[in-house]
Amino acid sequence: MQDRSRRAFLAGTALALATAACGRSSPVGSPPTAAGTLRIGAIPDQDPEVLQRQHGTVADAMAAALDLDVVYSPVTDYAAAVSLFRTGDLDLVWFGGLTGVQARLQAPGAQPIAQRDIDREFHSVFVVDGATGLAPSDDLRPLAGLRFTYGSETSTSGRLMPAWFLQQAGVDPQGFPGGPGFSGSHDATIALVASGSYQAGVLNEQVWRSRLEEGAVDPAAVVEYARTPPYADYHWLLGPGVAERLGADDLAERLTGWFTGLSADDPADAGVLELFGAGSFVPARATDYDRIEEIGRALGLVT
Amino acid sequence: MTAVLARPAAPVLRRDRRRWAWGLAALVVVGWSLAAALGGDVLNPAGGAQVGRFAAAALSPDLDGAFLGMLGTAALVTLAYAVLGTALALALGAAGAVAAARTTWGRRGTGWAAARGVLAVPRGLHEAVWGLLLLNVLGLDPWVGVLAIGLPYGAVTATVFAGLLDEVPRGPYEALLAQGSGRVAAALYGLLPLAAGGLLSYAFYRLECAVRSAVVLGLIGAGGLGYQLALSFTSLRWPQVWSAVYALALLCLAADVAGRAVRRRLAAPRRRAGVLARDRVLTAAVLGTGAAVVWAWWFLALSPASLVSARARGQLGHVLGAALPPAGDGALLREVGAQAVVTLQMSVLAVAVAVAGSALLAPGAARPPGAGPGRRLAGAPVRAALLVLRAVPAPVWALVLLFVLLPGVLPGALALGLTTLGVLGRLAAEAVEEADPRPRAALTALGARPVGAWLYGVLPPAAGPVLALALYRWEVAVRDTLLVGLLGAGGLGALLASRLAVFDWPAVTTVLAATVALTLAVDLVSDRARRVLR
Repeated sequence: MQDRSRRAFLAGTALALATAACGRSSPVGSPPTAAGTLRIGAIPDQDPEVLQRQHGTVADAMAAALDLDVVYSPVTDYAAAVSLFRTGDLDLVWFGGLTGVQARLQAPGAQPIAQRDIDREFHSVFVVDGATGLAPSDDLRPLAGLRFTYGSETSTSGRLMPAWFLQQAGVDPQGFPGGPGFSGSHDATIALVASGSYQAGVLNEQVWRSRLEEGAVDPAAVVEYARTPPYADYHWLLGPGVAERLGADDLAERLTGWFTGLSADDPADAGVLELFGAGSFVPARATDYDRIEEIGRALGLVT
Repeated sequence: MTAVLARPAAPVLRRDRRRWAWGLAALVVVGWSLAAALGGDVLNPAGGAQVGRFAAAALSPDLDGAFLGMLGTAALVTLAYAVLGTALALALGAAGAVAAARTTWGRRGTGWAAARGVLAVPRGLHEAVWGLLLLNVLGLDPWVGVLAIGLPYGAVTATVFAGLLDEVPRGPYEALLAQGSGRVAAALYGLLPLAAGGLLSYAFYRLECAVRSAVVLGLIGAGGLGYQLALSFTSLRWPQVWSAVYALALLCLAADVAGRAVRRRLAAPRRRAGVLARDRVLTAAVLGTGAAVVWAWWFLALSPASLVSARARGQLGHVLGAALPPAGDGALLREVGAQAVVTLQMSVLAVAVAVAGSALLAPGAARPPGAGPGRRLAGAPVRAALLVLRAVPAPVWALVLLFVLLPGVLPGALALGLTTLGVLGRLAAEAVEEADPRPRAALTALGARPVGAWLYGVLPPAAGPVLALALYRWEVAVRDTLLVGLLGAGGLGALLASRLAVFDWPAVTTVLAATVALTLAVDLVSDRARRVLR
């Protein structure tokens, strides 16, 4: 008798465990079964904590305008964002230039949707430690002898394009005394160059300007040395097969229309634009990023 | 009368030549690593202001209500991962222990060695690596976090459980076999009850470790406290980072205190009228943990179906197809060899720093039995410092140290050394507390000063166990080097990160194989060294 009740207890526990999860959505990650939901995400770039923690602003505005269920999924890693786009866990992702190229190669058929007004002609800035005494210049060669740090490994503005412009100037982008460092983020690059542990570094111009405005940079400790020529950067990328799954064939056009229609004069829209540091969004085409792909292949960052 | 006199014979104390050989070899290896780390300038005093900002924020953590609420939810996610990951590790460990125990194989050494070899693969990879690999197969599924803890921990647990089973007295087991009972029944009734205390004690120790591992997983995007910490860390929002660190420290503290209470009670079973009595607190702890498993399953909304879904199978095929065969070109292999040396140096320095720090801090942190409230209070700051050292993740230490140290092996090694010190210092303090108090009391009674009594009465018996623990942590440190490699420190971890970032899967396989081989080699050496210490 006791044996039977024990068995019943075990069976009951197993059943409870198997069914407990049903009907509850996990606090981490989105259920792949939510067929009618648009799952969006973003690479962790400028102020990721603000973007990821206020993601409701974007998801809600998009949901209301497009009459779709929209959920925002958190990501902390550039490569993870690409992988999750490939596995279909993320439908619409805010990528950098290089990560967007990687994502399109791994998920053929993915479509660029929109970029910010500033992304057509984006710049990076080389910064140097004030103690080096280097004056601003267009000549990148004096950087070759300094301890140098990039940002994230696959950041377009913190790695790929600066490496390319260094190479064009005759500086080995993987050279530098002790080899280049990877600070992990634009803010870490500023802090490391300010400390002098790295004598020079390179970062996203937008982050640099906003930190200068906030007064977060000691102008004596970190000095702007050079500004790169323009290149195309960040964009929203839509996964292949998402429109079909959601039963909305014109999804790409509707998304582009919504992004490009966001206006700084509308208070709700302004919140979204501000999160992305954008004045407005403009349509993006795959061909905008052909140059990024070529350079990525040349530097071994696209395989 | 004879019964009273028949004390267990004390081992004859003599100089052990092998200990000298191992000690000298250790000194040479530490010296070699130190020489590699200290070549050229290492200090950058100008970065003191940046460290000051980090340190000052410790006193003014972000206490915004909404932020704290978010940290609360994140702490629950971390806890759920830790609980389920440990539960899975115990299940895997129980099954694996049978396969890895000498008792199972008897004289058939090949089968035993094969089982051990299979277990070396999951435990040779860091939890964060497991997380990244699983993310590529399962996507954004809570199983990623649970499996990333459960698989490597399961392999470690299997090895430890097998050791415990092999070490319990054989009498009851052999008696049952002699009476004609089957091997399974004999093991269940003759071995398991004797090993149960050790097994349970280790299970709770694993739970404490799992809390810290769950945080590391958050750094790769699996959610929880580590995720919130990583977000704030990216923008160097130090007050927010400290709030997350304190939340994590509280979680670690709760796990430590609970685990320690359980282990204490297991070490000294309650007796009522001379008979072993059921310990209500222990029963409650086991039932409570069981309930926590059910809660965590519900909270994370785990669904077994997603493990075997067509999508997971397809993605597994994609990753395996891309990753095999491994890359074998000469340039990569030379790079792997060079970085393996860096990893080794970094791990050796980390453990050396941790041992030196533990020797300094353990006397202060220990709460010897019978100490007065004043002595206990005096130790509190040291214990709190150790808690913070292990609650701040290694990548954060690496960046902060890099403000005042020039790029190279040293900042990475010190960062690992600090987190290892946080763990080892606490274990060393426990070893000091558990050491036999009589030699010290005798020395004090004979008029020795406190320092002399400590040096001659406490240090010698505690040194062996602490060094053995340090050797265990060495293997962990080798795997942890991957967390601190990117900032100019290098090592296999930096190489792995650079290959993962560009999706060069064949090279990733090669680097992972090298990591497993290095971990296995370190494990074998540390096992030999521990045998000499016994």
